[in-house]
Amino acid sequence: MNSAAAFFKAKSEGRARAVFLRRNGPILMVYAFILLLVVIGITQSERFFTERNLANVARQSAFLGIVALGQMLVILTAGIDLSVGSLVKVSILVSAIVMNGESANVLPAILATLALGVIVGLIHGFLINELRIAPFIVTLASLVILRGIGLTISSSPVGKASREVMMFYVKKVGPVPIIALMFFALVIVTLLLLRYTVFGKYLYAIGGNTEVARLSGLPVKKTRYGVYVLCSLSAAVTGLLWLSRMGVGDPAIGDGIELQTITAVIIGGTSLFGGRASVLGTLGGVLLLGITANLLVMLGVNQFIQGLIQGVIIVAAVALYKQEGD
Amino acid sequence: MQTERSGIGAPDAAFPNMSEYILEMLNISKSFAGVEALKDVTLRCKPGLVYGLVGENGAGKSTLMKILAGAYRADAGEIVFKGQRRDQATTADIINSGISIIYQELALVPQMSVADNIFLGREPRHPLGILNLKQLYTRAGDLLARLGITLDLRLPVSELTIAQQQLVEIAKALSQNADLIVMDEPSAILAGDELDQLFSIIANLIEQGVTIIYISHRLEEVFRIADEVTVLKDGEVVAARPLAALDRPTLVELMVGRSLDEIFPQTQRERGELLLVAENIATDTILQDVSLEVYAGEILGIAGMVGSGRTELARALFGADALTSGHIKRIGKDDAAWSSPAQAIRAGLALVPEDRKRHGLFTALSVRINLTLPILSRLTRLGIVRRKAEERVVQAARERLSIVMSAPDQETQFLSGGNQQKVVLAKWLETAPDIIILDEPTRGVDVGAKFEIYKLMRQLNDRGIAIIMISSELPEIIGMSDRILVMNDGRVAGELTREEAGEARIIEMATRSERAHKPA
Repeated sequence: MNSAAAFFKAKSEGRARAVFLRRNGPILMVYAFILLLVVIGITQSERFFTERNLANVARQSAFLGIVALGQMLVILTAGIDLSVGSLVKVSILVSAIVMNGESANVLPAILATLALGVIVGLIHGFLINELRIAPFIVTLASLVILRGIGLTISSSPVGKASREVMMFYVKKVGPVPIIALMFFALVIVTLLLLRYTVFGKYLYAIGGNTEVARLSGLPVKKTRYGVYVLCSLSAAVTGLLWLSRMGVGDPAIGDGIELQTITAVIIGGTSLFGGRASVLGTLGGVLLLGITANLLVMLGVNQFIQGLIQGVIIVAAVALYKQEGD
Repeated sequence: MQTERSGIGAPDAAFPNMSEYILEMLNISKSFAGVEALKDVTLRCKPGLVYGLVGENGAGKSTLMKILAGAYRADAGEIVFKGQRRDQATTADIINSGISIIYQELALVPQMSVADNIFLGREPRHPLGILNLKQLYTRAGDLLARLGITLDLRLPVSELTIAQQQLVEIAKALSQNADLIVMDEPSAILAGDELDQLFSIIANLIEQGVTIIYISHRLEEVFRIADEVTVLKDGEVVAARPLAALDRPTLVELMVGRSLDEIFPQTQRERGELLLVAENIATDTILQDVSLEVYAGEILGIAGMVGSGRTELARALFGADALTSGHIKRIGKDDAAWSSPAQAIRAGLALVPEDRKRHGLFTALSVRINLTLPILSRLTRLGIVRRKAEERVVQAARERLSIVMSAPDQETQFLSGGNQQKVVLAKWLETAPDIIILDEPTRGVDVGAKFEIYKLMRQLNDRGIAIIMISSELPEIIGMSDRILVMNDGRVAGELTREEAGEARIIEMATRSERAHKPA
C-alpha cells in the first residue's frame, strides 16, 4: 500500500494552492487595474478623490453590486436572470405607490416589494424546474413582461418616498454611506454562503454537472427555486434603494441593469457555463465598472465612448481568464 | 450453441441459504423494442469476493448492471440484496442499501474539490445547513487512508488524473457504506502502472469484506483478480465458474464461438496499387507506433476492443488529430501529406465517423443540405447555389443508395439509422475519394440496410476505392475484410489475412495484455 500512497501523493500534494492562485490570478489583475484607475483619478482630476465623489462611487457600486451578487449565484448554477432590470423598475414603482410619501406605509411598502421579488423568483423556478424551459428564455420573457407591467402602471413618475426613506440614501456611518455598508455586508454574507453552507455547495454542484447532482440525490429543484428567489430579491431590494435615491417611482429606472450585472460577474471570473464563481471577483467587476464610469465623467469623456470602453474591458477580461484558466 | 451452467450461476440449483449470498439476481430478462437484451440471467455473489463479468461488446453486461442500479427495470426476474427484494428500488434506494456502481464516465463535478465530491449530497453538517468542514475533511481523509492513498482534499477533481478521479469515486462508494461495488470497465481509462494501483486497492477492499463485480473484456485482468467468472453472450449466461476451473482458451471460446449470421457479398478481386502509407504514427491520444499500408480496391478491417485506439487511428489518418511522431503519405497524387481534414479531403480521403449524429450529420437540416454541403462550391454560379445542379446530386444519391426519404427537404433526424448512414456515405462519395474510412459503418442499422451498405462497399471497391473499416462486430470484420489489423492498447497487435482470421484468434490478439511486460 505504501507504494500506492507514494505514487498518488507525489502527483497531487500541495497543488490546491497553486490551482487557486492560477484560477484567481486574473482577479488580482482586476484589482490592480482598479488601483491604476484610482491613481489616474487622483493625478488627473481634482474632484475624483474627494469624500463626496468617493461616497457617490460607493453608492453607485452598491446599486449595481447587490443585483450582481444575485446574478452571480444564478450564473453559478449555469443559469442566467435577464429580468433583474425590469424587476428593479417594477419594484421602485410598486414601493413608491404603496408608500405614497407616508411614514406609516414604509413597512407595508417594503414587504410588498420583497413579496414581489419572492413571487417572481418562484415563477422563474417553476418554469425552469417543472416546465424545463431554458433560464435564458424564461427570464427573457420575464424581462419583457415586467417592463410592460411597469410601463402600464405608469409612464411618468408616480408615488412618493417617505422622508425617512429619502434620508436613508444620504445617511452615513462616519464617512461611509450606509448603502455601501449594506452592500459590503451582503458581500460577506454571500462569501460565507458559498463557502460554509450546504446550499452554497449545491449551487456549485448543479452548475458543475447537473446530472451528477441529480444522481447524487441533491435537491436540485429546491436549490434552483432558492437561487432564483434570491436573485429576484436582490433586484427588489435594489428597487427600494432606487426609491430612496429618486424619491419618486420613476419608470425610467432599471433598464439595462441585467447586462451590467452580467458584465460585472464575467469580469469577476465567474464562468457563464456554471460551476465556478468568485464573490471577490464580482466585487472587483462591480468596482471596476463603477470607477470607470465615474472617472470618464470626471475627465469629461464623451459618455458614448464609455460603452466602447466597457466592451473592451469585457473582452480583455474574458481573454485573460481563457489564458489563465485552462 | 453450447450453454453451460454450473457452480453458483446455476438457476436451477437448490434454493440457497439466504445468508450465503449478498446479492442474487435471479432469472433476469429484459427486452428493448422486441430485442432480447437479457435472457434468464442469474448472477449470485458471496461477500468478500471479486466477480468477473465478461463478454463481448453488446453481450448485455451493461444492461445487467443498469438493472441492478435501478436505472432500468427488468421485464422478469428478481433481485435480492442482503436478504431484501430490490427489483423495484430507485437509484437512490439502491445507493442507500449499499450498492455503488462506478461507471466508465465518472460521475464527479469537475470544479468541486475531492472532499466535496466524496460527500456530495451527504455533507456532514451543523444545524441550519451550515457545513461541518472539519468533519468533511477528517472523514474524507479517513476514507482515502482506508484506501491507502493520499490526495489533496481541497484540489478540484478537474486537476486530478483520470486514475485519481476513479479513486475519488471509490472513496465516494465507501462513504456510502457500500458492501458491493460494481466497476464497469475500470481499466479502460487507466494506463500502465495505474492498473496495479487499482488492483492493490481492490485487494484492500476485499480484505474489508466488500464485494466487487468487475466488468472487463480484458481477460488478463480477470485472471489476475477474479474469484469467480460469469460469461455473458448474446444476453445469456453461458458459464459461471470459479476461476480455478477456467483457462484462457476456454474463456475465449465461451465468449465467442458464434456462427456468421450474415451473408457477406463476395467477389474475387486483385489488390490494386499502393495508395497510402503510414509509418510509426503516434498522437497525443492512446495511439502509439502504428504502421499500415492501404491498397486500391481492398477493405482493410480494423478490429480491437472499444478504447483500443481504433477511432484514434481513424482520426489520425484523416488529419483530425496532430501526429506527435511518424508520418502519413499518399502514394501518387504528388505524394501529398496533410495535417488537417481539409487537406486530407483534397488528398482523396473521406471519413465517415462512428457517431454520425454528432460528427457526421446535421440532424436538424435537410437531406439536400447534408448531401451537398461538402461540394457546395461546385454547385454555385456567382456564389449562388444552382438549384437544378443540387437537385441532380440529390436524385443521383437517392437512386444509387436507395435512400428512403419523403422528400429532399426532409430533416435527416427523421430518417432511420440505416438511411442516415446512407446519407453520410453519399455525402462523402460526392467528394470522389480514393480512400474511405468507415468507423462502425453498421452500428444501429437494421439488417436490411446493413446488407445494402455491404453491397455498396463492394461496389466502391470495384471502382478501385480503398476502404478502411473499423468495426466491433467480428463477423462483419471477418466477412468483409481482405486484411485485418488488430488493435490493442493503442498499438497494432497483429495483421491477419481473411484466411487466417477467426473470432477466437482476433479476440485473443485484441485482449492479450502486454502491460505486464511493458517497461514502466
